[in-house]
Amino acid sequence: MRYFAQRLARFFVVFFIVTFGLMILLRLGMNAPGDPARTMLGGTVTDEQIATANARYHLDDPLIMQYFWWLKGMVTLDMGTSVQQNIAVSSYIGSRVLVTLFLGLYSLALAIIIAIPVAVFQAYRRDTRRDKAISIVSFGLVSVPNVVMAVLMVLVFVRTLGWFPRTGEKIYPWDDPVEHFRNFALPVFALTLPVAAVFTRLLRGDMIRTLQADFITLASAKGVSVRRILWRHALRNSLFSVLTSIGLQLSGVVGGAIVVEQLFNMKGMGTLLVITILSKDLFVVQALAAIIVFVVVVVNLLVDLSYAAVDPRIRQMRSLG
Amino acid sequence: MSPTTQAASRDTDAPLLELTDVATHFRTPRGLVRAVDGVSFTLERGKSLGIVGESGSGKTILSRSIMGLLPTHGTVRSGSIRYAGREIGNLGRKEMRSVWGKEMAMIFQDPMTSLNPLMKIGDQIAEPLRIHLKMNKVDAWATARKLLQDVRIPEPDRRLHQYPHELSGGMRQRVMIAISMACGPTALFADEPTTALDVTVQAQILDLLAEQRRERNMSVVLVTHDLGVVAGHTDEIAVMYGGKLVEKASTRRLFAAMKMPYTEALLASIPKMSDASHTRLAVIPGRPPDLVNPTQGCRFAARCPYAQDRCRAEEPPLTSTADDPDHSYACWYPVGSPEYHETRARLASTTNTVEAA
Amino acid sequence: MSDTTSTGPRRTLRQRLHLPRLGVLFGTVWLGGLTILTLLANHVPAAVPFIRYYDTKVKVNGKVKKYGFGPGLDAWFGTGKSAEDIFARCIYGAKLTLLIGIGATIIGLVVGAVIGVLSGYFRGWTDRIAGITTDSLMSIPPLLLSLVLVLRLDDLKEQYSWMGWISRPWQLSLTLGLVSVAPFARIVRAQTMVLREREFVTAARSLGASRSRIIMRELMPNLVPAMVTVAFTGLGILIAAEAGLAFLGMGVEQPHTWGKMIDIARDDIEKAWWATAFPCLMLFLTVLSFNLLGDELARRFDIREAAV
Repeated sequence: MRYFAQRLARFFVVFFIVTFGLMILLRLGMNAPGDPARTMLGGTVTDEQIATANARYHLDDPLIMQYFWWLKGMVTLDMGTSVQQNIAVSSYIGSRVLVTLFLGLYSLALAIIIAIPVAVFQAYRRDTRRDKAISIVSFGLVSVPNVVMAVLMVLVFVRTLGWFPRTGEKIYPWDDPVEHFRNFALPVFALTLPVAAVFTRLLRGDMIRTLQADFITLASAKGVSVRRILWRHALRNSLFSVLTSIGLQLSGVVGGAIVVEQLFNMKGMGTLLVITILSKDLFVVQALAAIIVFVVVVVNLLVDLSYAAVDPRIRQMRSLG
Repeated sequence: MSPTTQAASRDTDAPLLELTDVATHFRTPRGLVRAVDGVSFTLERGKSLGIVGESGSGKTILSRSIMGLLPTHGTVRSGSIRYAGREIGNLGRKEMRSVWGKEMAMIFQDPMTSLNPLMKIGDQIAEPLRIHLKMNKVDAWATARKLLQDVRIPEPDRRLHQYPHELSGGMRQRVMIAISMACGPTALFADEPTTALDVTVQAQILDLLAEQRRERNMSVVLVTHDLGVVAGHTDEIAVMYGGKLVEKASTRRLFAAMKMPYTEALLASIPKMSDASHTRLAVIPGRPPDLVNPTQGCRFAARCPYAQDRCRAEEPPLTSTADDPDHSYACWYPVGSPEYHETRARLASTTNTVEAA
Repeated sequence: MSDTTSTGPRRTLRQRLHLPRLGVLFGTVWLGGLTILTLLANHVPAAVPFIRYYDTKVKVNGKVKKYGFGPGLDAWFGTGKSAEDIFARCIYGAKLTLLIGIGATIIGLVVGAVIGVLSGYFRGWTDRIAGITTDSLMSIPPLLLSLVLVLRLDDLKEQYSWMGWISRPWQLSLTLGLVSVAPFARIVRAQTMVLREREFVTAARSLGASRSRIIMRELMPNLVPAMVTVAFTGLGILIAAEAGLAFLGMGVEQPHTWGKMIDIARDDIEKAWWATAFPCLMLFLTVLSFNLLGDELARRFDIREAAV
């Protein structure tokens, strides 16, 4: 229980620090009064317009106060207004968030689904030619930058084979599952493979280490089958490194999603971010960044908690204090 | 031989375990390591055998060889291992799996690392029951509970749901014994079962093993470097050195009338309560033998105080005397022989001269 | 009865010549060759006559044609949107990519190492504060942070004239360097905590060495292997990051780095595939080389890397 509380506290602290830091970063250098408003509205603005904006968005208040206003807004899902488009932010980023969410979720899930059986196979058939071949491929995949991966996907699957469309349309699974699949398949694949390679390498290493432990030999000596030893005994004890890296990989996937969305012209958070950062639509940027950071920190929290779920020793150690 | 759960109903006439010229070599970059180099003996049903030797003598490898628990890469096995009349020396891991846990069981040295830290005790005991005896979970756990009682663990219900790290070292070793007994095997191999435990707990564990052996009519092979462990708990003792069996006798006979100088030295190196204080520890000089390039003659010759030229030139075969055919040894000039006494007298006089001078 | 022939594994030709593994060989050759070519092309063009100039238009039958040539003898990697030689551009672009990457790695490593050593050695509150800082930094996806930083620096440059020296390459180096501080700090901290417990540190302490002396004389030299290893792998990642930023339009204006080349040609990917494919290839092989070398170093120095 205490473990959980500690982790939760840390989650909040980090979230606040990061989002506040981001806000400061975005407002850096806008010291003259009226600057934020001027920047956001862009072009020529009258003093009147600035005053209105200031009043509406509390742009005059000290930064801390602005942060609190913003936080309050986020919690009530009022993410401010896109000053340029003059519509509520929350209304139109929803669909974008969803697209990127699908992208990220599919990629990570697929990566894990691929990595586990491959790594188990590699650990069992260690040092055989197949194991070595897979290791080489994994190493190569890890070295492929997201840009390159995406381009490769396009070159092979769109240009040469023509199986998939060049642009990822925003189609939801509940609208048309097949088209949804066709549009998301390539971007997801581009993101998944390098992450799957990382997971595979980590898991293989841990599995090999675990398989040398005494309790595995004992399990053998009990007459337990190879399959059961691999999946029931060894795997569970080898998840530590992979779990630890999920958070990091998620950060990478977010970055990758931005790039991939750009290449496939998808209407997700990534492309929106690029546009709004360039046009200095501050509220939108803050909202998007906050959502991303929130997801990342939550996932890290979940990973931390999962350690306790998997390993009873951690569960009990912490509760003792 | 159709396997049954009760060990008692087996054919009790034939020896349970017959080893003939068993050898296990490992291919390494340095060369061929002759870890076990031609060992032969038999073991009867329900008897306990102690295999004694220092590190590197091959005792652990021998027990693993009999079980078949060796790594597959670079291992060369030869010789015949017959278990209950059936040749198992050439069986692969797949075939052995039906034997492991069911007819032959093994417990290891370190109970902390031998149990799966993420699995409940109950599950770990129930596992072989469900695999070999096809029990369902409820029955298996009930049997596990009974097994915990057999090994004298208090509050078995609570313990079943606990994890290994919640138990003390002695209790974990008991759990290991429970796991090994689960399917009623006919032979148990105990590889240094007490080395990692406190002295007080050691005796309890050994007594427990002896009790189980009697109740189940099970053969026990106790592998250890500690003569004290085998002294009270075995029927026979086999001494190993340099991958070879150098002496084998009933326990009583071995301690009363040992033949090998090595055995004598082992015994002498145990500090005794009756010694005066500050008595120097007797050690066996020299280092363990090279298993890659063994010498031509007796492997112990380099460190044996009674070694003569013949010992270094020719390897002594395993023989036994007429009056005690069960006591075998491999020595040209065993303890009690005229040459032995001669050398001994000579050594004693030189020591005296040194002291006198 | 003794065996005279060795029963060990046969010594391969490679082992007998003491050649390094294939990967290391390739990595070294690739990086070495690339560095030489790009330095020469940028500074001593006469030495590499087979590399066309940056702006030369490769004419097809006397006329300037968009994507005139595919890969072939006329232009090894084909020509691009403005009839430029893609191979030549790739070589020119390499210099800045490498420089930015190296700059970022140095910044990140120096700052990260300081944080790492201090928090690893002193523990306590120093460690906790540093921990929260690095955790926070690592919670922001690197690309996101880089985007924001680069653009804000753009704005700040307009505001404060003293920041005028921060050219685009410097902006990128600083940004990427900052983003890489957290992972470097983590790794250095882990290594420090391991080394701290070793005997030579205890020995120095018992001799009365001051803390700063211990850090400088005992710890730092032993951290160098880890830092060098991580620098190589880090370089690979940072170069990929630079390409990503360039692809999104945040890169250097001139000369075009590989990322930007991919961006320019991406709409025509179906017709003129070579304009994207070859920069991608260059990028991949370069990152791969750094990873290969980093991996070999890790093997040599026996370092368990943090999950990268």
